[in-house]
Amino acid sequence: MATHLSYGRVNLNVLREAVRRELREFLDKCAGSKAIVWDEYLTGPFGLIAQYSLLKEHEVEKMFTLKGSRLPAADVKNIIFVVRPRLELMDIISENVLSEDRRGPARDFHILFVPRRSLLCEQRLKDLGVLGSFIHREEYSLDLIPFDGDLLSMESEGAFKECYLESDQTSLYHAAKGLMTLQALYGTIPQIFGKGECARQVANMMIRMKREFTGSQNSIFPVFDNLLLLDRNVDLLTPLATQLTYEGLIDEIYGIQNSYVKLPPEKFAPKKQGDGGKDLPTEAKKLQLNSAEELYAEIRDKNFNAVGSVLSKKAKVISAAFEERHNAKTVGEIKQFVSQLPHMQAARGSLANHTSIAELIKDVTTSEDFFDKLTVEQEFMSGIDTDKVNSYIEDCIAQKHPLIKVLRLVCLQSVCNSGLKQKVLDYYKREILQTYGYEHILTLHNLEKTGLLKPQTGGRNTYPTIRKTLRLWMDDVNEQNPTDISYVYSGYAPLSVRLAQLLSRPGWRSIEEVLRILPGPHFEERQPLPTGLQKKRQPGENRVTLIFFLGGVTFAEIAALRFLSQLEDGGRSKETYR
Amino acid sequence: MPEVPGLQSAPSCWTTVCQDRVAHILLAVGPDLYLLDHAACSAVIPPGLAPGVSSFLQMAVSFTYRHLALFTDTGYIWMGTASLKEKLCEFNCNIRAPPKQMVWCSRPRSKERAVVVGWERRLMVVGDAPEGIQFVLDEDSYLVPELDGVRIFSRSTHEFLHEVPVASEEIFKIASMAPGALLLEAQKEYEKESQKADEYLREIQELGQLPQAVQQCIEAAGHEHWPDMQKSLLRAASFGKCFLDRFPPDSFVRMCQDLRVLNAIRDYHIGIPLTYSQYKQLTIQVLLDRLVLRRLYPLAIQICEYLRLPEVQGVSRILAHWACYKVQQKDVSDEDVARAINQKLGDTPGVSYSDIAARAYGCGRTELAIKLLEYEPRSGEQVPLLLKMKRSKLALSKAIESGDTDLVFTVLLHLKNELNRGDFFMTLRNQPMALSLYRQFCKHQELETLKDLYNQDDNHQELGSFHIRASYAAEERIEGRVAALQTAADAFYKAKNEFAAKATEDQMRLLRLQRRLEDELGGRFLDLSLHDTVTTLILSGQNKRAEQLARDFRIPDKRLWWLKLTALADLEDWEELEKFSKSKKSPIGYLPFVEICMKQHNKYEAKKYASRVGPEQKVKALLLVGDVAQAADVAIEHRSEAEMSLVLSHCTGATDGATADKIQRARAQAQKK
Repeated sequence: MATHLSYGRVNLNVLREAVRRELREFLDKCAGSKAIVWDEYLTGPFGLIAQYSLLKEHEVEKMFTLKGSRLPAADVKNIIFVVRPRLELMDIISENVLSEDRRGPARDFHILFVPRRSLLCEQRLKDLGVLGSFIHREEYSLDLIPFDGDLLSMESEGAFKECYLESDQTSLYHAAKGLMTLQALYGTIPQIFGKGECARQVANMMIRMKREFTGSQNSIFPVFDNLLLLDRNVDLLTPLATQLTYEGLIDEIYGIQNSYVKLPPEKFAPKKQGDGGKDLPTEAKKLQLNSAEELYAEIRDKNFNAVGSVLSKKAKVISAAFEERHNAKTVGEIKQFVSQLPHMQAARGSLANHTSIAELIKDVTTSEDFFDKLTVEQEFMSGIDTDKVNSYIEDCIAQKHPLIKVLRLVCLQSVCNSGLKQKVLDYYKREILQTYGYEHILTLHNLEKTGLLKPQTGGRNTYPTIRKTLRLWMDDVNEQNPTDISYVYSGYAPLSVRLAQLLSRPGWRSIEEVLRILPGPHFEERQPLPTGLQKKRQPGENRVTLIFFLGGVTFAEIAALRFLSQLEDGGRSKETYR
Repeated sequence: MPEVPGLQSAPSCWTTVCQDRVAHILLAVGPDLYLLDHAACSAVIPPGLAPGVSSFLQMAVSFTYRHLALFTDTGYIWMGTASLKEKLCEFNCNIRAPPKQMVWCSRPRSKERAVVVGWERRLMVVGDAPEGIQFVLDEDSYLVPELDGVRIFSRSTHEFLHEVPVASEEIFKIASMAPGALLLEAQKEYEKESQKADEYLREIQELGQLPQAVQQCIEAAGHEHWPDMQKSLLRAASFGKCFLDRFPPDSFVRMCQDLRVLNAIRDYHIGIPLTYSQYKQLTIQVLLDRLVLRRLYPLAIQICEYLRLPEVQGVSRILAHWACYKVQQKDVSDEDVARAINQKLGDTPGVSYSDIAARAYGCGRTELAIKLLEYEPRSGEQVPLLLKMKRSKLALSKAIESGDTDLVFTVLLHLKNELNRGDFFMTLRNQPMALSLYRQFCKHQELETLKDLYNQDDNHQELGSFHIRASYAAEERIEGRVAALQTAADAFYKAKNEFAAKATEDQMRLLRLQRRLEDELGGRFLDLSLHDTVTTLILSGQNKRAEQLARDFRIPDKRLWWLKLTALADLEDWEELEKFSKSKKSPIGYLPFVEICMKQHNKYEAKKYASRVGPEQKVKALLLVGDVAQAADVAIEHRSEAEMSLVLSHCTGATDGATADKIQRARAQAQKK
């Protein structure tokens, strides 16, 4: 049991158990000792649903990473390849299998495709002459992975690129499949809303798949009331801006991968006396970040400026708790104190970790450059000087600041101006090519293809209309005790979350005009339920909405959604990203 | 088959026997018996065979293949195991006329042996007992041995000879006092409203045999063929059940259901006169299959519905069979068949339209198959069949509709092999989703094809990008790279992307230049950005060339200043830096000079520039070089609240106490105003 998954309004452990069961069933099909050969990309996502102990219980003795040529020696009966359905991986697998065949005792080979079997890949294996070597060829539909009590993820990093740059819908198909699995476990979702081209496609696929599944009538009482599908390209602005929540900043600075973050070790060296800093750990400190950690759950979604006070308050509470021991006089009191000790020590460890992280982040956020960058971002977002060359960006290029930073700013400016004037755009492009190298002409071209960067066409800047109607810029932000979602970017209210907010109240009809400006169609679909399953709403009971971002979501957006659901008092939103 | 010694004409009789899972032929020639397999022929002698046999007239193997019976010309019957190793019994019927037929009659209950011998008008059942039972036949008859008895057919009758089951015997034996018999009696009396009913019932209950009684009645009902008798027995069982507290109802319910099914199929319109035991042995699934084979679809569906079988095993399966039959009706038009099938099947869960379509295709009705596939909701089933039927283009659009990219790929690769290149590309052109997928495939698998695709679509922008990628990935030599870039630039011109074309030409120029630099100066220049090339030149003291390059490529002044500033500071060439700062008025101001000197920890140099910083950034510059006091003065002079607090935040307690006081005073004054 992963307890943090069952805190939310929807118990995601049901899903986790379902995927774990499926994995166990597959492993048991291959009787005897086994070695697993992993597609490296999958180890992270798998780690979230099954630890090594589970695999070990099912006789998995060795684990390898999928590599060319031959497999490391292993004295096992079965060799299981766990891979994504990609042609290049099939080539490697066949190399492995062929070299293994030459090496002595026959093994049983199996292949587990994640998340789906592929005719294309099987054809490739057939062409390579190894298809017959596999006893079990199955698929493991790991589409949505439970992350937290209110969060699921497809962990599909390339989804945005595939969908918007390469027009490859594979990930949309997986998303639709994942949503079908979810509905099989949590009931049919009666209403589907959506905005954007990809959203429309996913909804279409879902409706189609539902038709394919007729016969296995779903008789589960629906847990979710609504599903909102949102294309990432409806709101390209939000991911370009710097996130200012605690979790968001950790991600901005260190990057969170599969809920883990790697941090510079120096700050986390155990402080021991007489240990003159001799053997400082050199390996990065790896921490898992989720709501299972009480303190983290409390601060993750706060604006970073509000984190310090919480940490110091916590520090006082904890040291006061430790002081209690002096008051413990009777044996009973001492016993009680001792019984609480493990919990207190865990809290103290957690506090120490987060204090260190906060210090690391503070070093960055208090730097002048961070401040300057933020100022420019906020100027753009509030609509100031978006139509001319920005001197800060110029300076950044001249000083060869990291390209990604420059590109984010330029794209942000482009988005906030409904595209840049051709002259401005060409100037930026030229500067970037001359400074960072001509090869980035391809990078720029890709940005233009996805719409992150574009010349202004039609001559009208629509951003101010969008900004005003959706109240994207709030001048009075309370970072400590927020009253509006704009606190997550200290002023800017994420467009995507605003859409979700307006959908639940008062409904999208009020913003038809803006919806027409934003790319892609908006729509509503109803999935009829048998009368027995229709909900009779209790007064005061809130709706549960599942929000699905097609193409990724930022931590700040998640924070904003959590804030909304608290505001609605229990109407917990649940959001997913890929 | 091997030769049989002495076999001149047809053997007097023969049969197949089964030993150790191998089939043999047992064959009689005169007084001798031979066992044949595929290789050998051996004479066998049945143990204990009475002497005087000159020929065998009949032989019969039992339903289970375990027993064998031999009828000799002496009217003697030998019964033994089929292995011919053991004699079980013998019988002398004293009839020498050759029998028409001889069959074993299985006796599932007593497991005893019985052989039925049939002559023209006579039937004799023989076995262990010294006496046989004789029946007279009215017509010529034919005997069929079955699982639990022998069926006797004649032109006008159909009879079944079998051992009486226990339950029936118990109940119907004359003067039987078995609980079942009493219960049946009780029920009859009860219907007559006679108090005897109570007496009978009491009698059973006193012995505590009511459950057995009910059970017997239920069982006996199963073996009755006549519905009235079935009803009467079931009524008795139901009557008896009323007096029992906890009698599990399933056996009764199931028997009622089974009998209803059996009566339905025994109807002369259907004509499947199965016995209860045969029906149980066969299972409902097989029975349904037989009905389906006889095309008795409505009855089969009624039975499924009546027995509430799950749709997938029951109704759906039968409908699917019906549909498969329907597609074979060649005299009905495709349209009508497809419509009729869809009307009946609709969205019945578990019906696979693709299976039906496959059948239609198997009968050569491709058009019908395609029509049927329209109703198939599962694209995973639909598409492969369409491919098989060589409707690849239709398969492609179906695959695209499903959104399953793997399916689309499968069709694409199929199409690629099936069509010539031109047609293939044309097909792709009308399917943008497939086209972009195929592009991805080519990007990883067939780069050249990718180029052809772009060429066909006149997509010059992408062609340009393609050649740029090639100039980095495929080409080694500088000439090749430049040539690739030239192609790219041409493509960009065609795409009317002036900017990219110019940038590409610049890059060609830069590449050539970089090579020249490498030749002349040594070191590495190739593939540096323009910015880095200039920086490298400055760092290696080639200021003139750097200037020239910057001019040639029109590097904006501001960036050039940053560039030089950074490079000179890196060199720690403070003299040159100062000279540079004075060459003209800095387009980037002088704060960057201060900053960069401080970065190199040269406070001395930094101070030189601090004084030249414009008023707006003066405070910042002074603070950078650590001149808090002067910064304070400037801030006060500017009357800027923000600057004052900035300075204040830099005041460290001990040294800057006075300065801090000064600012506080100025602030207070400002507030008064």
